[in-house]
Amino acid sequence: MPDLGRAALVTAFLLLVYASVAGTFAAWHSRRRLAQSAQNALIAAFGATAVAAAVLLAALARHDLSFTYVAQHTSRELPLGYTLTAFWGGQEGSLLLWLLVLGGYSVAAVLTARRVGREVLAWVVPVLGLVGTFFALLLVFVASPFATQPAPADGAGLNPSLQNPYMAVHPPMLYLGYVGLTVPFAFAMGALLARRTDERWIVATRRWTLAAWAFLGVGQLLGAHWAYVEIGWGGYYAWDPVENAALMPWLAATAYLHSVMIQEKRGMLKVWNVLLVTLAFCLSIFGTFLTRSGIIQSIHSFTQSSIGPWFLGFICFITAASLALIFLRLPLLRAKTRLESLVSREATFLYNNLLLVALALTILWGVVYPLLSEAVTGEASTVSKPYYNFFLHSFGLPLLLLMGIGPLIAWRRASLRALGRTFLWPTAAAVVAGIALLAAGAGSSRVGVIAYTFSVFVLASIVLEFARGTSARKALGGVGWGGAFASLIARNRRRYGGYVVHAAVVLFAIGVAGSSAYQTVREARLHPGDSMTVARNRLVFRGFESSTQPNHRAIRANLWRYRPGKNQYFAEDQVSNEVSIRHDLLTGADLFLIADQVNSDGSVDLKALQKPLVNLIWFAGFIFVGGSLIALWPDAREERRLAERYEGATMRA
Amino acid sequence: MARRGSPARLIVALSVAAVLAVFLLYTSIAGGGTPSLQPSQLQGHTGRVSLVGLVAGQATGDAHAGGLHFMLRDRHAMTSVPVVYKGSVPDLFKTGREVVVDGKLRNGTFVAVPNTLVTKCPSKYAPKK
Repeated sequence: MPDLGRAALVTAFLLLVYASVAGTFAAWHSRRRLAQSAQNALIAAFGATAVAAAVLLAALARHDLSFTYVAQHTSRELPLGYTLTAFWGGQEGSLLLWLLVLGGYSVAAVLTARRVGREVLAWVVPVLGLVGTFFALLLVFVASPFATQPAPADGAGLNPSLQNPYMAVHPPMLYLGYVGLTVPFAFAMGALLARRTDERWIVATRRWTLAAWAFLGVGQLLGAHWAYVEIGWGGYYAWDPVENAALMPWLAATAYLHSVMIQEKRGMLKVWNVLLVTLAFCLSIFGTFLTRSGIIQSIHSFTQSSIGPWFLGFICFITAASLALIFLRLPLLRAKTRLESLVSREATFLYNNLLLVALALTILWGVVYPLLSEAVTGEASTVSKPYYNFFLHSFGLPLLLLMGIGPLIAWRRASLRALGRTFLWPTAAAVVAGIALLAAGAGSSRVGVIAYTFSVFVLASIVLEFARGTSARKALGGVGWGGAFASLIARNRRRYGGYVVHAAVVLFAIGVAGSSAYQTVREARLHPGDSMTVARNRLVFRGFESSTQPNHRAIRANLWRYRPGKNQYFAEDQVSNEVSIRHDLLTGADLFLIADQVNSDGSVDLKALQKPLVNLIWFAGFIFVGGSLIALWPDAREERRLAERYEGATMRA
Repeated sequence: MARRGSPARLIVALSVAAVLAVFLLYTSIAGGGTPSLQPSQLQGHTGRVSLVGLVAGQATGDAHAGGLHFMLRDRHAMTSVPVVYKGSVPDLFKTGREVVVDGKLRNGTFVAVPNTLVTKCPSKYAPKK
């Protein structure tokens, strides 16, 4: 069995090398049949990778401990579900998942992207092949998931914090996001190599980019919720390098999703778009590198990591190669039109882009700061929460405001008089909300008040856009309000899907501001019979309860409806905090209890957090998915329009 | 604005300048990062630092009353320093684990800032190699 897995990976590697080399040659010399054969090799490599993945999955399912990977990441008692998710619990399996997902995306994108034109597609295949070759190379020569050993009596087991249902969805979602960003990158490079710098590659990859971006966003929210309910420190995001690793490419991809609209509509920002898509791709590889190599924990662990130098080399190579290519093609990337006014839709898109990229780059600076400072001064320095919060406020709040301004401003050139009329209602709503908040005592956090005021402004402008569009459509006649609303969305899926996503981002911002700027924290040592009060909730401690489960002993503090406590796992010799959370569905607040320390005299050190509006964050996740789905949904009308637009161009070419 | 100049360039230039200004403002107010040191590097540092080390010996005391007392030592050397800490203790804290804690060295004892103790590593993706 391990031989089959190894053979499948070697086959995938050879096929990918062939797709890269033959594909390059075919594209260079315009050999159609050779290009077709390179494309077939890319598809076949996906098949070979799938065989390798099936072998690993089967080994996990059969608890075949002669596989080093299975022995290191599972044990015989581990439930089947977690045994299978151990596929991506370690380094080798994660790399295999990367290659598998890349293969799936490559096949799907190449087969559905006929409209991009044969010349571009011929170059896309070797670019995808090259990225695949890198991961296949790692899997064959550096970090093989099919290494074998004499089977031990039992495996080492899976890290207890990974034994959680979120383990089944959070990592695959993130990988679908990370890897998906390869598709727009490959098409951008393909378009540049083929000297076809019109917007067709953007149109062809639009849905792939959107899907990858949505997966990355959902994956992060799932991770945040996992941390919130499981890790038990009362938060959901800690600016940890591994968390930032996913946030950075998401921010770059968000900027890209906006800026490509300007290229489609006005033929501008071509250089910027290829730079952004390169940045997003490099950050996604960097993110994989961060989570996999352990470089940030210490510069010293870097040399111990077998895959670290490979990743670093690959990142340097793709960055240098794509920048060189962009530089060579600069004359072809000249804009067709110019920005006409600083007050226009294009200009707000540009502001939004600069803020998003600035935020992504300051986070990147924070992540690599320990390495840079150690390299320069010989002594590592770290930046922490205040650094990140400062830049989140400096760049995030203006971004929030722009989300309300951008959609209402006209393309090309907006007159100030028209602006006054457009923004009358949203501004009025925001001012009223701001005054009401100050009156209600929300002034304790200045950032919080600003965030809320901006949020009201954005929500009002989104509602206004929907109302205006619906009434315009109804005025065309023949439909009621409901019908007009539905057809408005159906006819402009990307636009109104985008607005729904904006609404989700606002709800998310309200939730984050509420649960961080206005949270109440109380700590006390309680003996049985003692009580404490947090945000008008009186908590009476009635002593401990304890029970013995098959693999752990559970100790719980009895506080009426709440049971925070600790689990002591026997086999792993590890304690885990079990928090007690109660949601208030009416206000969206959570009361979050942590039994921080269980004392031998029968007392408990209790930590209680009241987190207002925190549930809006998770609710926003569902709205986010809904908005993304609206924007992604296939649109026959749009397809026809695009077909008409590009059919002529293809015939002329 | 010059007649020939494109507003796009102006926006980019102004934004880059604004970002740089914000960045400089931050570094001048808050200073750089916090030095991240091992026990053997502590000597001579009087300001706040992040101490990284392995928990050596048994931890004693009460983190929620008088303070938890333990020793931290270098990853690859035997130099160690006594630490006194108050606040939440992570689940994974135990002898031999690598932890990070912020604080200042006072009279040979590292006095930790409350609630800054974190255990390194076995969070989401423990590097295996």
